[in-house]
Amino acid sequence: MQPAVHKSPMGESLLLNRPVLEVADLAVSFDNASNPGGPRIQAVAGVTMTLFPKQTLAVVGESGCGKSVTAMSAMQLIPRPPGRMDRGSILLDGNDLLSMSEKQMLSVRGSKIAMIFQEPMTSLNPVYSIGNQILEAILLHQKLTPQQAVERAIGALEEVGIYNRLKERYQNDLVALTKNKHHLLAEYPHRFSGGMRQRVMIAMALACQPRVLLADEPTTALDVTIQAQILDLLRQLQRDRGMGIMLITHNLGVVAENADVVCVMYAGRVVEYAPVFELFDRPMHPYTRGLFSSIPGLRNEMHRLTTVEDVTNNPAEFRKLPGSEKGVIPWWPHMPVEARPKLAHERDAYCLHQIEPNRWVGCWRTPELEAHASPKPSLDFRRHDESSIMPLGSR
Amino acid sequence: MVTYLVRRLLFMVPTLLGITLMVFMLLALAPGGIGASMQAAGGQGNTTGIAQQQAYLEDRYGLSDPVIVQYVRWLSRISPIKFGQRDVRTPRGERISIPRPIPDPSLTSVFPPPRKPQVVFTPSTGDQVIPEFKLLQRDSEGSRREYVGSMRIFRDALADVARVVGPPLVGRLDGKGGAKPSDFDDLLPVLIAAQESAAREAVSQPSVQATERVRQLADARLKLFEAVHSMHTKWSRAEETRQRATIAFMANPYPQSGVPIIPDVITLDTSDFGVAFSKNRPVWDLIIDALPVTLLINLIAFPISYLIAVPTGVMASVRKGNWFDLLTGVLYLSLYSIPTVLAGVFAIGFLANNQYLGLFPVSGLHATTADAMPFLPSRDVAGVWQVGWLGDLLWHVALPVLCLTYGSFAILSKQTRASMLDNLSADYVRTAKAKGVPRNDVVVRHVFRNSLLPLITMFVGIFPAMLGGSVVVERIFSVPGMGSLVLDAISNNDRDLILADVLMIAVVNVAALLVADILYAVADPRVSYE
Repeated sequence: MQPAVHKSPMGESLLLNRPVLEVADLAVSFDNASNPGGPRIQAVAGVTMTLFPKQTLAVVGESGCGKSVTAMSAMQLIPRPPGRMDRGSILLDGNDLLSMSEKQMLSVRGSKIAMIFQEPMTSLNPVYSIGNQILEAILLHQKLTPQQAVERAIGALEEVGIYNRLKERYQNDLVALTKNKHHLLAEYPHRFSGGMRQRVMIAMALACQPRVLLADEPTTALDVTIQAQILDLLRQLQRDRGMGIMLITHNLGVVAENADVVCVMYAGRVVEYAPVFELFDRPMHPYTRGLFSSIPGLRNEMHRLTTVEDVTNNPAEFRKLPGSEKGVIPWWPHMPVEARPKLAHERDAYCLHQIEPNRWVGCWRTPELEAHASPKPSLDFRRHDESSIMPLGSR
Repeated sequence: MVTYLVRRLLFMVPTLLGITLMVFMLLALAPGGIGASMQAAGGQGNTTGIAQQQAYLEDRYGLSDPVIVQYVRWLSRISPIKFGQRDVRTPRGERISIPRPIPDPSLTSVFPPPRKPQVVFTPSTGDQVIPEFKLLQRDSEGSRREYVGSMRIFRDALADVARVVGPPLVGRLDGKGGAKPSDFDDLLPVLIAAQESAAREAVSQPSVQATERVRQLADARLKLFEAVHSMHTKWSRAEETRQRATIAFMANPYPQSGVPIIPDVITLDTSDFGVAFSKNRPVWDLIIDALPVTLLINLIAFPISYLIAVPTGVMASVRKGNWFDLLTGVLYLSLYSIPTVLAGVFAIGFLANNQYLGLFPVSGLHATTADAMPFLPSRDVAGVWQVGWLGDLLWHVALPVLCLTYGSFAILSKQTRASMLDNLSADYVRTAKAKGVPRNDVVVRHVFRNSLLPLITMFVGIFPAMLGGSVVVERIFSVPGMGSLVLDAISNNDRDLILADVLMIAVVNVAALLVADILYAVADPRVSYE
C-alpha cells in the first residue's frame, strides 16, 4: 500500500502513516542529590512509544512516573548534569534528537517540536509583552521582515481565538479591529486570564508550525470550561496542520475525550499501550484497571472507592491475561518476589509484550516472552477515520 | 504617573520636615548648646568676653526661647513663603532683612530705662546710598552686639550683688547662679539695708571681716550701677543705629528680593539657610561648594560598583558553584569585611605615600597648580603631555572612589546572584528554552531582565549608605565635600550649617528613592502608578 499523502498548510508533503516521533527504549537517570554516592534515580527506564501525524498520544500515569521527563528529553531540556541519557533514541522524522548538538537542537526546538506547559500563569515572561514573546519565537526560526513577523504573530493569535472578543466588538469597523489587534500584541501577560495565557502559550508554540506538540498537562491549572475550550482548540489546530500531539495528563476524562492512543506509564516504564476505546473497554494491566476503578462515579458514592492498591494487591488480577498460564504475567514492581514468574534474565525483568495486534502490556520478561520478541508499540490509529486520509473537517 | 509624581513630591515635604525636626531636637538636647566648643577653645580668654560672645549667639539664635519656637523660626527662614517686610538682595546675592527690634532694657522696675530715642534721619541719595547703608547696617549690628553683651554683664553684676548680700537675695538665683532681673524688684531697699547694717557692724565691732564686707558691698553696688549705666547707654545707641538702618533699609538701597503675593505681608522667596558662624560664610555658599564634590565622588563610585558587581554576579549565578562563583564570593566578602577607615589609611600609607608606591595624591581634590591647567589632557609648549584639569581631578578622586566602592561589591553581586538563581529556575525560562532561545539570550534577555528589580531596591539601600560612607572617606582624604562640612559643623555645633547639611543629604536620599520608584515602573510592567 502506498503511503497516504496529505498536503500541510505549509505546502510540504506529510506522510501520514510514517511516525513523526519515535521514542525507543529511552532511559534517563538523575544524580541522587541527597545521597551523592548512591544509586542514580531512574526516572525513565526503557520507554518506547510512537507518535503519528494527526495523532494524539495520551501519556497517563501518576506523578513521578516519567511522563514529563520523556517529553523534556525529546526537547533536550533535561539539565545535564544532574540528568543523564542512559540509552535509547528519540527520532523526529527519522533524525535522532538525542545525538544532536546543542546548536542543532536550537533550530529544532520551537520550530519542529514545540512544548506547552502546565502553568500558564508563570510560563510567560512577565516583563515582556506577549507580542514580543511570540515574535521572539517566530524570528528565531524564520527569516521574516519585522512586518511579516508581526503579521504572523497576529495570525497565530487569531488561530487560538484571542481576538474573538475584539471581533465581536468591532464587527463593522475593520480599521479599529486591526488597530486593536496590534494593541493587544503590546499587552503584558499579567493582564490576561489563565485561559488566555494558555492560548498565548499555544500560539507561541505553534507559531512556527511544529511537527510535534508536547503538551505537558496543558489544562491542569485551568477550570473545566476553559479546559474544554483549550482541548477543542488543540484538536482543531491539529486537524488543520496535521501535527502529532503528545498529551501528558493525569485526567482520564481528558484522555477519553481527546486521545487516539493511550500510553499508561508506571515507574518509568510503559505498562499498557492501546487505542483509546479498547483501553477503556478492556483494560488489561492490573494497574490500568486500578486507575479506572479509582475514578469516583456518581452512582457508587455510598461505597468506599476501590484504590489502585486494592487491585494490584490481588494476585488473581495478574492471572487474567491471555496466555497467563504460559508465563504472560503483567509486570509490577511491587509484586512479592515469590509470586513473580521465573525470569529470562535476573537484571532485565521487564518487557513490553504485544498481547493482541494493537495492544501492548508491560510483562515480566519470562523465557517464553523472550523467545517471541514483540515489535515495538506503534499504532497508526486515529479515533476518526484513520485508514483513509480524507481532508479533515469532514468528521 | 504625573499624579503619582506630584503626590510623591508633596509627601517629600513632611518627610523632610520630620527629619529636620528630629535633628533640631537632638541639637537642642546636645550638652553645652551652641558655642560650647568656643567656650572650651577660649579657656585662656577673659570670661567676660566669652560671656558676651555667648550672649550674642543667644540673641542671634533666640536660644532663650523654647526649642519649638526656635524650630518654627528656622522653618520660616527655610520656607519659600515669607511673612512681613520683603528682604533686599545685594548684587552678590546676599539677602538682607529689615533690622530686628532691639530687646527691651527694662529688665527690672528698679532701673527704669531712659526715654526711647526717636531718630530723624534722611538717607542720602545717589552714589552714597549703598556705602551709607552698609555702614549703617554694620553700626546697627555692632551696637546691638555690644548691647546684648552689656545685658549679660548686667545680669552677672546683679547675681554678684545677690551673692554678696546673701539671704534673702541669694536664694533667688537659679541653679547655675544666674539672676533673673524681674525677681529683684526689692533690690535697692535690701541692698541699702545690708550696707547700713554692715557699716553699723564695722563701726560697733571693728574687724577685718566687717570692713571687707562693707567694701565688697560697695564694690558690687558700684559694678551693678556701672553695668546699668553701660546697658542703658548701649541700648540708646543700639536703638538709634537700628532706627537709622531701618530708615535706610526702607529707602530700598538694593532691589527687593522675591515675588510679592501681598506686598510686604506674604512673599515668595528662596530659602534662607543663614550664615555659618563657625566659618562666617553663608551656609548656602558652603553647600554649593561641597555638594557637587560629594555627588561627583559618589556618581563615579556608583556606576563602577554596579558595573563590576552585577556582571560578576550574573556570571556567578550561571556557573553556580564553580571556581568563579567561589572566587568572587570569597573575594567580595573579604573586601566587604575591611573597614573603610582602615582601607583609607592603608590606601594613603601604601598607595599614596612617597616612601612606598606614591602613585596617588594623598589628599585634596586638585593639585595646587590645577587652576592653570587646560581642561583636557594636552601638550604643553615643550610638547610634553600634561594631565590637564580633568585628569588631575580623576587622579585625586581615585583613592576615595576606591574606598567607597570596594565594600559594595559583596552586597550587590550576592544580591544579583541570588535573584538570578531565583529566576533561572522560573517557568518562563523553560518556555524560552523550549522556543529555542540560545542559552546566553535566555540568561540576558529573560533572566537578567527579571532580576533587575532587587537591584533597584539595592540602589535605594546603597545610595544613602554611600553618602554616609563618604563622610568617613572625605575626612580621611581631606576632600572638601559634604562629609567634611557636616563633620566640621557638628564639632562646632554650628546649628544652621548642620541643619542645612542634613536637609541636603535628606533631599538627595529622598530623590534617590523617587528615582528608584520610577525605575521600578520602567523595569517591571506589572508595577504601575496610575
